Amino acid sequence: MLTLRQECRIAIRIAGIRLRGQIAYPASFWMQIFSSFVIHAAEILALLAMFNRFNDMGEWTLGEVAFLHGISMTAFSIGDTIAVGLDSVPSQIREGEFDRVLIRPLSSWIQTLVSEVSLRHLGQCAQGVVILGFALSWTDIQWTLQKALFMPVIIATGVALFIALFTLVAILSFWTVNSIEVVNAFTYGGSDLAQFPLHIFDRWMRNLFLFVIPGGFTAYYPALYILGKDDPLGMTDTFRFLGPLVTAGFCLVVAWGWNQGIRHYRSTGS
Amino acid sequence: MRIYFELALRAFRQLFAYQAAMLAGIFTNSVFGVMLSAVYLALFDSHSDGTSVEGFSARETVTYVWIGQALIAPVMIWGWWEIIKTIRTGAIVTDMLKPLSFFGFWLSRDLGRAVGHLLLRGVPTLIIGALFYDLVYPGTPGRWIAFLVSIPFAVIVSFCFRFMMNLWGFWVLDHRGIAGIATVIVGVASGHLLPIAWYPDALRDVFNMLPFRAIVMLPVEIWLGQAGIVEGLGLQVFWILVMTAAAHWLQSVAERKVVVQGG
Amino acid sequence: MDGPMIEARNLEKRFTVRRHREGAFGAMRSLVDRGGNEVSAVKDVSFSINRGEMVGYIGPNGAGKSTTIKMLTGILVPSSGEATVAGFTPRESRKQLAQQIGVVFGQRTQLWWDLALADSLELLRHMYRVPEKRFRENLNRARELLVLDDFMHTPVRQLSLGQRMRGDLAAALLHDPKILYLDEPTIGLDIVAKARIREFLAALNRETHVTVLLTTHDLADIEQLCRRIIVIDRGQVVYDGELGALRNRFGGKRHVILDFDQDPGDAISTLAGNNLEIVDHNGPRVRVAFDRETTSTPRVLALASHHGTVRDVSIEEPAIEDVIRQMYEGPDSQHP
Repeated sequence: MLTLRQECRIAIRIAGIRLRGQIAYPASFWMQIFSSFVIHAAEILALLAMFNRFNDMGEWTLGEVAFLHGISMTAFSIGDTIAVGLDSVPSQIREGEFDRVLIRPLSSWIQTLVSEVSLRHLGQCAQGVVILGFALSWTDIQWTLQKALFMPVIIATGVALFIALFTLVAILSFWTVNSIEVVNAFTYGGSDLAQFPLHIFDRWMRNLFLFVIPGGFTAYYPALYILGKDDPLGMTDTFRFLGPLVTAGFCLVVAWGWNQGIRHYRSTGS
Repeated sequence: MRIYFELALRAFRQLFAYQAAMLAGIFTNSVFGVMLSAVYLALFDSHSDGTSVEGFSARETVTYVWIGQALIAPVMIWGWWEIIKTIRTGAIVTDMLKPLSFFGFWLSRDLGRAVGHLLLRGVPTLIIGALFYDLVYPGTPGRWIAFLVSIPFAVIVSFCFRFMMNLWGFWVLDHRGIAGIATVIVGVASGHLLPIAWYPDALRDVFNMLPFRAIVMLPVEIWLGQAGIVEGLGLQVFWILVMTAAAHWLQSVAERKVVVQGG
Repeated sequence: MDGPMIEARNLEKRFTVRRHREGAFGAMRSLVDRGGNEVSAVKDVSFSINRGEMVGYIGPNGAGKSTTIKMLTGILVPSSGEATVAGFTPRESRKQLAQQIGVVFGQRTQLWWDLALADSLELLRHMYRVPEKRFRENLNRARELLVLDDFMHTPVRQLSLGQRMRGDLAAALLHDPKILYLDEPTIGLDIVAKARIREFLAALNRETHVTVLLTTHDLADIEQLCRRIIVIDRGQVVYDGELGALRNRFGGKRHVILDFDQDPGDAISTLAGNNLEIVDHNGPRVRVAFDRETTSTPRVLALASHHGTVRDVSIEEPAIEDVIRQMYEGPDSQHP
């Protein structure tokens, strides 16, 4: 039986070989990287243009909004880079390609992660970091050692949550592959939602984003802590540090769901 | 002409087979509509100097958000690569040899599809927006009609652009890079991502001189009364003429390439 | 290892077939109400296969062949019943089992479309943690016997069907599996390619005693490779035994063709009645059919010699296709 570490090592090896295969077509490889950067430069531009027309948002300065935006975006893009293989689960199931995952001596989930490797999300990653850079220059955060140490934890929790969300989408496709566009509302929608202060949204959306999909715990509340702001929703201060715990719980549920999905897998043909 | 009508009708009917996908699309567009509305309303809420930002009040901005979400499917903001697929399979050669205009063949199908998407996805999305938000409506019957006319015009301009992007497939192996850039050009320069008026002045002037404006911004401006009916529709017609000419030119170059390669 | 290599005990797999609803309301109702009809692709399948056996698993389309194999590999979880493969229960120990089996699906490659064959094999080496030395040995053997060298560095999507199949076989054997599942391994191949694959499999089984379970529509595969066959029809095993015994049980009659030096004339008809039957009489050539339970070839020859000099004799076994068709269409069967 393989340990998780061994599995990860094998997965990284596989990803490396897949990447080597991509670089075999350098023109298309660089074009993808280039276009990814252009897309995200344009998005930064639109965001800055929007901020430029307004002063603040729901009692937050735009620098503070940009900070929240930056951490969510960075987490989302790292998560998306790792989980890009999960995007192809619906098509793998439709075309019967998923069979082969199940005849190999590696966790089906880890195999799915590395079934595709793409660097096109690097541009998005850069977008998150650039916006975070802007935000740090626009705000004057009172940094302490604890806050500095908590930053990587915030990003890591966000990454884990987004990977869990992409997994959730893949799980749904074990039951239905046709209405899969709904899930964009949860993944990309979730990412967009995490980029803005939670208190500007209606109550039902806030509750959804805290207690069903715990995105509020991985972005908004930790940001309140770093920025040293009061919580207009009046929740206890503990909320600011619950992210890792809540995300771990969410991941457990998703992991259980993945196994249920595998059990439900019907293959195709006779 | 009959054949083009039949092609459009078939493309229109085809959409009715994917009802679950339609519901999913309406749901997704609405979720984003709700989210973006909340973001803009929050921005306007704490906006100190007056109520309007570069010609957009809060209500008008929310209206812009919902029209934008409703137009996503009809004008295919996220791109469309059907012709590339036929280049890969080789079906394009027989399509080009058919006794009808290659451009018209695809355009009529796209218009049929767009009408279907408008009815099945655009209208329901807009109705959801109207139910939950206080939107601004075109004041006169003339404006309603002008708005309805501006949508097929927007589709044609967007189609010409997508058509040309697809023909690029004759020269490049992998369209994904181009696809990404094309998508972002339309997203930004059409006004889908942000009202064009809100960009910095220099950029706004550039976007106003590009055809992409006709795809999202002009229909919105016609609805909101920011653009005159004649000027708005006239500008769309102008871009239709220019883009159609460009598309035909690119097609003739591509056809020559097919002949040279021997199919 | 003691006990059988593959054991299936009352395997069953049910699928829910969704009702498709028409119209906009239909689509909405389908989202809420997930009702449907249950059908059993596999109803009740039991068998046991020992180490080193090469077993043909056959049946008409939709009989449940692939579904059985998918349950034995761990791809599908059985609705009821149990399987034990190489000492593991597939659904509980999918990963450990995967290390012990090799799978080739003729219709679908297990390789990566966009990678060169060499890269695919390299990837699998890591996945199965094949030691470097063992990998070299297996790769060299595969390269030699399956003649892979011409296309080792070609992306899999550009390979011909036959090349791809050889690549798939090499990939399935890299980690020295104890069991090899082959689902239609010769489908779509030309005669030369088929022969090459069959020779390879026969040699492999001889040398390594790998256990092989083979499904195919091409009964020549079975005749050349398997002594034992399991026949499945509508989700149930209808025959499990030796290929030869199958002929005896269902095949009925053996044909003998007698070439006389001259036409024996109408008198030959008196042969009939001695538990044999004249099927055809055309000049000096007479075709006789008999049941081998009641008569033997020497006795037929002895009887025939009363009617003239027999110059030549040939014996025809019933074609396996006919035997099996007879099984599916036999009197007990409810096929339309």
